Amino acid sequence: MSLYEGAVKRPIMTSLVFIAIAIFGLFSLSKLPIDLFPDIDTNMIMVMETYAGASAEDIENNVTRPLENTLNSVNYLKHITSKSMENYAIITMEFEYGHNIDQLTNDVRDKLDMISTALPDGAGTPIIFKFSSDMIPILVLSAQANESRDALYKILDDQVANPIARIAGVGSVSISGAPERTVYVYCQPEKLEAYNLTVEAISQKIAVENRNVPGGSFDTGNNAYTLRVQGEFKDPKQMENIVVSTMGNKTVYLRDVATVADTLQERAQKVITYFTNPSDPQGYSGEQGAMIIVQKQSGANSVAIAEKVLELLPRLQRTLPSDVTIGVIVNTSENIYATIGSLEETIIYAMLFVAIVCFIFLGRWRAVVVIVITIPLSLIASFIYLSATGSSLNMISLSCLSIAIGNVVDDAIVVLENVTNHIERGSDPKQAAIHGTNEVAISVVASTLTMIGVFFPLTMVTGMSGVLFKELGWMMCIIMTVSTTSALTFTPMLCSLMLRLKKRENWFSRWYNHFVVRGMLDKLDVWYAKRINWAVRHRGVVVLGIIVFFFLSLMPVFTKQIGTGFFPSQDSGRISVSLELPIGTRQARAEEIANELANKWMTRWGTPETKVLKACNFTTGQADTDNTFASMQNNGTHIISFNISMYKVKDRLMNLTMYDVGNQMREDLKAYPELVKKNVVEGGQSGMGGQTVAQFEVYGYNLAQTDSLIRILRDSMMTLDGVSQSLISRSDYQPEIQVDFDREKLARYGLDLSTAGAFIRSRFNGTTASYFREDGNEYDIVVRYSPEVRESIETIENIMLYGTRTNERGMTEVCKVRIKDVGQVVERFTMPTIERKDRQRVNTLTCVVNTDKSNLGKVVEAGQAFVEGMRDRGLLTGDVDIQVAGSYEDQQDSFRDLGMLGLLILIIVFIVMAAQFESMSDPFIIMLVSIPFTFTGVVLALWITGVDLNVMSMLGAIMLIGIVVKNGIVLIDYIHLLRERGYSVITAVVAAGRSRLRPVLMTTLTTILGMLPMAIGTGQGSEMWQPMGISIIGGLLVSTVMTLVVVPSVYCIFQGIKIQRERVKWADELGIELEWKKKHHIFKRRK
Amino acid sequence: MKAVFIAFDQAHREEVIAALNSSMMRGFTCFEDVQGRGSVSGEPHYGSHAWPGMNSAILSMCEDDRVPVIMERLRKIDHERPMLGLRAFVLPVEESL
Repeated sequence: MSLYEGAVKRPIMTSLVFIAIAIFGLFSLSKLPIDLFPDIDTNMIMVMETYAGASAEDIENNVTRPLENTLNSVNYLKHITSKSMENYAIITMEFEYGHNIDQLTNDVRDKLDMISTALPDGAGTPIIFKFSSDMIPILVLSAQANESRDALYKILDDQVANPIARIAGVGSVSISGAPERTVYVYCQPEKLEAYNLTVEAISQKIAVENRNVPGGSFDTGNNAYTLRVQGEFKDPKQMENIVVSTMGNKTVYLRDVATVADTLQERAQKVITYFTNPSDPQGYSGEQGAMIIVQKQSGANSVAIAEKVLELLPRLQRTLPSDVTIGVIVNTSENIYATIGSLEETIIYAMLFVAIVCFIFLGRWRAVVVIVITIPLSLIASFIYLSATGSSLNMISLSCLSIAIGNVVDDAIVVLENVTNHIERGSDPKQAAIHGTNEVAISVVASTLTMIGVFFPLTMVTGMSGVLFKELGWMMCIIMTVSTTSALTFTPMLCSLMLRLKKRENWFSRWYNHFVVRGMLDKLDVWYAKRINWAVRHRGVVVLGIIVFFFLSLMPVFTKQIGTGFFPSQDSGRISVSLELPIGTRQARAEEIANELANKWMTRWGTPETKVLKACNFTTGQADTDNTFASMQNNGTHIISFNISMYKVKDRLMNLTMYDVGNQMREDLKAYPELVKKNVVEGGQSGMGGQTVAQFEVYGYNLAQTDSLIRILRDSMMTLDGVSQSLISRSDYQPEIQVDFDREKLARYGLDLSTAGAFIRSRFNGTTASYFREDGNEYDIVVRYSPEVRESIETIENIMLYGTRTNERGMTEVCKVRIKDVGQVVERFTMPTIERKDRQRVNTLTCVVNTDKSNLGKVVEAGQAFVEGMRDRGLLTGDVDIQVAGSYEDQQDSFRDLGMLGLLILIIVFIVMAAQFESMSDPFIIMLVSIPFTFTGVVLALWITGVDLNVMSMLGAIMLIGIVVKNGIVLIDYIHLLRERGYSVITAVVAAGRSRLRPVLMTTLTTILGMLPMAIGTGQGSEMWQPMGISIIGGLLVSTVMTLVVVPSVYCIFQGIKIQRERVKWADELGIELEWKKKHHIFKRRK
Repeated sequence: MKAVFIAFDQAHREEVIAALNSSMMRGFTCFEDVQGRGSVSGEPHYGSHAWPGMNSAILSMCEDDRVPVIMERLRKIDHERPMLGLRAFVLPVEESL
């Protein structure tokens, strides 16, 4: 008993097997996490190494270089970049995609162990982070407070940040804009000197006074007591009464030389959040508060984490003081949900369209049900795969479903059609189902094999696109296999149960037969038969015509009308803006500008009438120096960083995309010439779906030379229309106040450089003398000069240094000297950061491409021309070199991979077809016609819609190879059948064309309409899959028309040659002179 | 005694056997997959790419009085679905075991 016979005869078993698959699939679906992409960002490892006191150049030479040299030999390393800054180095390793991050981390750790002895003595232990600091935060929360504002940091740290940090997958939680409570002891330098006191002495005194001392235990009578001295301060004001010294018989209290301030940290970041507020007359309101930034670990699922955090928030809110409110400024998962939601919508539409196409062609609801039911069955089965491999519901897996919808019905249609034929000939539905399926089983399997031939190689792509396409490849293979199995078992089973010979006549079937069948479909068949009849009789004209058409259609390519890009940019509704004023600008000025901009933007876009910006939040000021992680980020009094989140695309009342808003912001920023650096980033900068950027890397050791070169390049690039913003990665030299000590003079006063340095540090930076404890919390007690004296260079010069030396009489004596007497205070400029890539100093120019006006390919090409110009002028001397990097590099890699893949797929498809037809010429005919015109169609579609050729559209084109040859297979297969039945070539071709027109149109239309929602979708994230939809529709449309018209003609040409050769051979054998040869020769050979 | 040779499209198989049963003809020999072509009309049944249909054939021996009954029933089946094809031939049986 064959597969289909078994299925038809055992309907219960068959349906239950498929129901079981569906249940498993739905169960898997309920467990699937949601993400934007398959797991792609696990390829960054960051190593941080501290070396206190070293300048950027020292760090570069002593720490960064040895580390780079060792880490460079870790396997699968793609790029190694480093930043050498004062006190520390950060080395970021970018690995090839698709390798286990844990294994790589271990390798990195091994290498670090090897190098540890070669590092300088004072260097700390390198720390490995499994994420990169430029990964965008998944959540930004805001915290507003009134009465509790001063205690906000502690409250947030204990009650919000800590519980959030405990959630699995959270990489870091940092709080900014909430200054910590600190007890400052502000000393007056002249008073200290008067009493011969130093800041150090005061710190020490505070430390020894603020202490609880256990005194052991003592027994008296029957009782045992513990003995204690309770000395800790209950109130910071108590400190003022400490005796710090006695002079003669006078007591010097702390209040005599210093003031105690129980206040907030001096330097702190300030965060102001503006948000749409319908109850405010302006339409928005702004409040100062704190910001909590949540970053995830490499490989963790953003949506899952965001969901858990948001779930936790109401609970946390209850534990907070009543005036503290936590809000959400940026939530990445919102965009992901919206994107996945709109993709799900396109899938529903695609299913609907496919059902409508089936109904128009078949006219019977029973037949439509039989076919359409295979869609959910095969799609649901693929969820089992996703769940088993630990993948997620993401844009790739869902686009894959969308592509599959049009294809999974094809097999079922073929089976149904043949079964219907059998029934119409008089078979019993059961018999018809078995025999009808049996007849087409081989061609159904063959056409599935061609599809698998296309999608299986996708699973072998490596690199970044590999991560994406592996999933797509496997899913399509699985869906195709399931749909074919279903077409061979479930479909015949349903046919045997649902189809019947005598159709009941009702108003609909009469109407359908009259208007659709006779009115349209039959007329179309006749019309097509006439065209094809003409075409096969005018083969030369047809062939010449299509060759001309082919070359004309490639004109957009030759004239460079089609842009190229890497991945489409997606409107994720997030913009970040970072602005830099000249170094040393006060925070107040930065804040003023920031408020001005925020108000301007919120009035324009943030009111309930416009509903574009949801929240606009900015941070100014310097982060706490204790917070190493925060200080790694760019911060300073002169830096403003904005975090802006927008409404979902469909909720916006003004029709603006993220890019429109970003470009307008750039225009606004031009009004501020004092901003030395302006960087507007729409979405994320790196990876997929972010901003399109062209990067030029200037390599070279000489900093001045590379600086000047990159400026020349930047100025040239900014003249281009398509570049909306450019940014040089190397920051300007930073002014510094330095103290140059005369070592000889220092030694004369019994001092050395580090002691003298420590004096300066404890006076300006301050020393943490002790901790003030209250309600179980600890607060720093910091002793330093009072703020008003810390503002002048004289204060530095007048710092009194105390040294001890042995005098001529062998006695130790304390000697005092001012800094100005042993050294000089000077202002110098230093390089704040040295960046390196692949072990060379690098300076990167990042140009943001305005995708409305230009495209990545064009901008990079123009940039390369500028670079060549510079090379010709002899500017690139010595070791200096300029290279293109960024999206362009990834794009080139992906295009090369996909190109190779295309070739591989062509070969496999050819093999499958040749095996099916047992002929080399037939698959050749099909490919000769379908494949070139697929590209014609893709090119024309991209040209008309103005969409770039990027990885997504390229992927669409590659998938088309499998889809388009199917039409050719159907046609040629039927021509063969008719030829075997004894038809002449031309009659067979015309009859086959007429008979196969409907199935070809039907399968093509299901695919095209299945892709239509993707191509015209306007939902969140639609930019991403639009190019794929457009290229598939364009390619399939042109290729199908060409297949229907040209394949018959070319087939006739090949058959003509074959027949004539046979006739010539036969005539030669018999020695007959053929008269017609002189007239009808297509091919002159012999004699 | 007569031999009835019935060649028919596979799709008729169950009906033909039902006809035999209802004609009180118990014994038969069935050839599941056979190829064939009609002398006058009808599609060939070769199981090939061009002619994918297949026939079955049944050879049944019966008493003479059963012949008109079975022939009548088979004629009816053929008449209902002329496109499928069914032919029956009655031959004399000379000797049996």
